[in-house]
Amino acid sequence: MKTNFEHSNWKLQILGDHALIFSLEEKMSVEIIEKIIALKKSIQAYHFNFIKELIPSYHTLTLIYDIDLFYQNNITVKDNQSIIQLGNSILNAFETLTSSIDTIYTTDNNNNNSSQVKNVIRIPVCYDVTFGIDLENIVRNNKISIEEIIKIHCEETYLVYCLGFLPGFAYMGKVNPSIQIARHPSPRKEVLAGSVGIAGMQTGIYPMNAPGGWQIIGRTPIKIFDKDPAKLGKLAAGHRIQFYPIAFNEFEKLNEYK
Amino acid sequence: MAIKIIKNGIADTIQDKGRYGYQHLGIQSNGYLDDQSARLANFILGNPTHSPVFEIHFPASHFCFTSNYIICISGANFVPLLNEKSITNNTAIEVKQNDFLQFLKPLEGRVAYIAIQGKIKEESWLNSHSYFAKRIQKDAAFEWEASASKSYKSFKKDNLLTSEKINEIQSHVFSTSPIQFIPGPAWKDLTEASQKAFLSTEYHIGMQANRMGYALKGAVLELNKPNQYLSAAVTRGTIQLLPNGELIVLMADHQTIGGYANLGQIILVDLPRLAQASNQTSIHFMETTIDTAHKLYQQIEKKFIHRS
Repeated sequence: MKTNFEHSNWKLQILGDHALIFSLEEKMSVEIIEKIIALKKSIQAYHFNFIKELIPSYHTLTLIYDIDLFYQNNITVKDNQSIIQLGNSILNAFETLTSSIDTIYTTDNNNNNSSQVKNVIRIPVCYDVTFGIDLENIVRNNKISIEEIIKIHCEETYLVYCLGFLPGFAYMGKVNPSIQIARHPSPRKEVLAGSVGIAGMQTGIYPMNAPGGWQIIGRTPIKIFDKDPAKLGKLAAGHRIQFYPIAFNEFEKLNEYK
Repeated sequence: MAIKIIKNGIADTIQDKGRYGYQHLGIQSNGYLDDQSARLANFILGNPTHSPVFEIHFPASHFCFTSNYIICISGANFVPLLNEKSITNNTAIEVKQNDFLQFLKPLEGRVAYIAIQGKIKEESWLNSHSYFAKRIQKDAAFEWEASASKSYKSFKKDNLLTSEKINEIQSHVFSTSPIQFIPGPAWKDLTEASQKAFLSTEYHIGMQANRMGYALKGAVLELNKPNQYLSAAVTRGTIQLLPNGELIVLMADHQTIGGYANLGQIILVDLPRLAQASNQTSIHFMETTIDTAHKLYQQIEKKFIHRS
């Protein structure tokens, strides 16, 4: 049985004059990012017109608000509570809700882990050395064969912890320690769109040609970021990803970057 | 009906209020560096205040108008010349077909805005004309539809009516009082001496200053112990401490998340003042509260409510 105490680890801080940060313990963990996403969904359900952004990232959820709209809303809906008071009441409501859900959940499904039933997005990657320009680095550095690197990279289901650096760039983890490698000390001038890289315990896909320091192990033919508004959000925090290997000729067939 | 670029500037763009609601996808908000001056220029022309404008850095692009327009320049004073004759900022200016606009030298400020009375005919992306990778280039032409509802004479008349507001907004943007900030999550991680140094010494904007961020030159700051932070969302005005002790203030084109020590946020009303500071401007920082920041914000916003 989970107790309510597990939910009382939230911290709420102001971030300047137009943002709030809700945070949990500062670590990269599946449980924590899932709680962050759950809080995001619960805030979205209020449909507050003054919220401009809700940005999840690892252990934090940042809420960006419009100052004028907040006060207009405040006068009509709430009796003059400050933004921090509003943040606290959001957290209280969330904790009450999630603790009751957990109680039901733990009595109904004793051993099942909720994360195992979630959908996994499968992404094809061509690990040919033409694209995987840093595979040899990992072979040398980690004393491991290319075949093993591919097998290990594809075995894991990765979780998206946040997006940033470039539009559509998802930070995913955790990479198996046997294929972890540090970034290049200085970034390459240009990494090709679709390139799949490793940086420490994280893996990611370059959504567009850009400078970058990640160690590149392959390339996906799939456009993971498209400016078309209808195609935005292929990857978002909380999504689960699994890579699968494809041959060079298959890459050519699927190539969306032509 | 267009505005043509006949010579490249170093970093000129089209900007509006920016886009919101996409930062969780890694998509930056972009938008005006100095929203107060940009909106003032629109305000003077009777445009919706968040309309797209040309954002100009020095050395600036040269412009040619392919039809008659009413324009207004605000923000930095780069000594604007229309057909080689000097014109003034913060007033409606009538331009005729084939008129030629250039900027002579940076007298005051870092970024100027040219608003055009009417409407841009370009397509927006996710509700904004701002896009971080799009500089305006020589030979580009921007279709702009002038709205014929108001004559140039009536603009001049309205201008007189609002001159007090105009002065208030511009003197705020170019005032030299301390820049106010609210301490952030990593402020407590600074040594006491570094907190004091940040609050009491003078800073200048360094050579690295662009739409993504402004590097600051001044007292080098230290954390109590070296710290690794997990990346979290950042906002415009975020003051980041880099591992080498250097400070960077994030501006309109900043990335959506950051992993450096987050020392605090410059309040929204003071961000245009930092945006306009030149490399010679002495910058002092002063701690403030969210209540003060919200009051100041609402005072400024009231000035942008249109005259009836």
